[in-house]
Amino acid sequence: MRPSPQSRGLALLPVVLGVAAVVALAILPKYVESPYALQLMVLFFLAVIQGEAWNLIGGYGGQYSVGHAAYFGIGAYTVIVLLQSKGLAPWWGLFPALLLAVVVAAIVGSITFRLRGPYFVLASIAVAEIFRLAALNWKQLTNGAEGILLSGIPPLVIGGAQITDFSSKVPFYYMGLALAVVTVLVTIWFQGSKLGYYLQAIREDQDAANSLGIPLTFYKNVALMISAFFTAFAGALYGLYVGFIDPQTAVGLDISVQIVLTAIIGGIGTVLGPVVGAALLVALSEALRSNVLTDLLIGSGLVDAGSGIGQFLRDNLSHAHMLIYGVLVALTILYMPDGVLGGIKNQLRKRRSRAAAAGGAA
Amino acid sequence: MSAVPEPILEIKSVSKFFGGLAANSDVSFTMDEGMILGLIGPNGAGKTTLFNCITGYYPPTKGEILFKGQRLNGMTPDQVCKLGMVRTWQKVRPLAKLSVLDNVVVGALVRTGSVPEAREIAREQLHVVKMAHKADFLAGGLPIGERKKLEVARVLATKPDLLLLDEVMGGLNPAESEDIIQLILDIKKRGLTQMVIEHDMKAIMRISDRIVVLNSGEKLAEGAPQEVVSNPEVVTAYLGEAHV
Ligand SMILES: Nc1ncnc2c1ncn2[C@@H]1O[C@H](COP(=O)(O)OP(=O)(O)O)[C@@H](O)[C@H]1O
Ligand SMILES: [Mg+2]
Repeated sequence: MRPSPQSRGLALLPVVLGVAAVVALAILPKYVESPYALQLMVLFFLAVIQGEAWNLIGGYGGQYSVGHAAYFGIGAYTVIVLLQSKGLAPWWGLFPALLLAVVVAAIVGSITFRLRGPYFVLASIAVAEIFRLAALNWKQLTNGAEGILLSGIPPLVIGGAQITDFSSKVPFYYMGLALAVVTVLVTIWFQGSKLGYYLQAIREDQDAANSLGIPLTFYKNVALMISAFFTAFAGALYGLYVGFIDPQTAVGLDISVQIVLTAIIGGIGTVLGPVVGAALLVALSEALRSNVLTDLLIGSGLVDAGSGIGQFLRDNLSHAHMLIYGVLVALTILYMPDGVLGGIKNQLRKRRSRAAAAGGAA
Repeated sequence: MSAVPEPILEIKSVSKFFGGLAANSDVSFTMDEGMILGLIGPNGAGKTTLFNCITGYYPPTKGEILFKGQRLNGMTPDQVCKLGMVRTWQKVRPLAKLSVLDNVVVGALVRTGSVPEAREIAREQLHVVKMAHKADFLAGGLPIGERKKLEVARVLATKPDLLLLDEVMGGLNPAESEDIIQLILDIKKRGLTQMVIEHDMKAIMRISDRIVVLNSGEKLAEGAPQEVVSNPEVVTAYLGEAHV
């Protein structure tokens, strides 16, 4: 059963492709200066980080948290509030932000992980709503619904040399890329670790897992804490990048839903599912925002531009993210329950099993 | 050699009520190390419920359970498993989307933090149940006979001292049942203690050192296999069921 040289070479292929992709992304800003392109890439990286982070507890662990906006918001608000009102540089502000997110995750997990299935989902939504309401009402700290407009980020100076003054999108591009790569690597480690095995066992059957020696709440909590750590990191990056946060854009339900979708559409419980999901969702939301979809429908002659429908679509489709996401989720769950990547993986496995069965019979 | 060895498991007056229903009532018996104890009784007698109580899945309403001299009351199934007692499920519970090997790896991980080591253990156990050739198949796609064997491989991988097997021959054809009987006898040779719930009387007579009969939650009889089957009360209880 030792792998043949060819199959070992084949096993190296993903590593080579992965390194090549990261190198290509690392040199991309040297050739692409369009702020619009960079903006899309930063949004893509942020979505990857959040999707991978959610995937640990949601995809591998089967604990469908629809409340990850809580951790995203904790990351964003802590860093931005400390910077704006206390002048604390964000690279220091990150420490309390991430610590707070992890502590909150431990507390939330200890309470909500006793619940199973839909009760857990509802509890996770409720927790995130509590944080959104806190952001809305704790006005001295958060400035309430008006939000906080960041007046600037101090330049990053290391050993007397200025690394960046954050005036362009490029530093955010690199921070996003680095963190996205880290979350993918963490997921690869996780998948092959005892922790990853235990979370998958919990996803498949909690009672069986428990009877095989797995303390359920403990392992769910560990996975949630790691997940919250990276989600809060993404939230902090997002706040600094956009330079403005308010309760809706930093702790809103849409964020929680979008995070879940990123993982589900790409394929839960796979390393690259959230990467695929992030690419699809960022592209889709961009297409919706710029009315590409409406133009396509009109261009293809399906809808008349002058008609009421054409006008209606032009006016409304760009605001209909959530509706379209909902339709997408329904379609994915119906036709590709394991997401785009999961579907491909299943096909491959089926073919391999069939080949193995044929080999065994021969 | 002098002192009488301590029993590995002591069940003392265990009762379990579901509302007004006494699924177990005042059940007591002990098990010695290395033995196979057959637990029999008509459907609904409370056999599975007793497994649930012993392994911490339900707290017993009354009574206490001692495993290797240690009181188990209040322990959760994972703690009981770590102490060395583990059960299979009558209604099998494969981790459907994991491979057969990975199902067993999950069991092995209770004794080690190292996944490669757990994979080694898991491969050995798949050999023991003669399923090594199915290692890479998805557990969810296995036929019932192999699901039952997988249950056994998975609990063996936790390196238990006491195994509780809940109808591992249920729904199997005679050849598959014979495999399982051999497997249980092999496991016994390795010194493990086993409590076996089984409906097939011929099988249970062959493998058991002692038999406990439950009926309507109560212990009806206990003794050597021959003693128990010739007990008139047991015969009456079983006549209620068409045939066993
Ligand atoms: N979780 C439960 N809630 C209520 N009643 C139960 C539960 N589990 C078992 N019972 C009842 O307890 C009795 C014994 O069931 P069980 O232990 O499964 O019997 P056996 O395994 O001997 O066939 C049955 O009447 C069953 O309906
Ligand atoms: Mg039963």
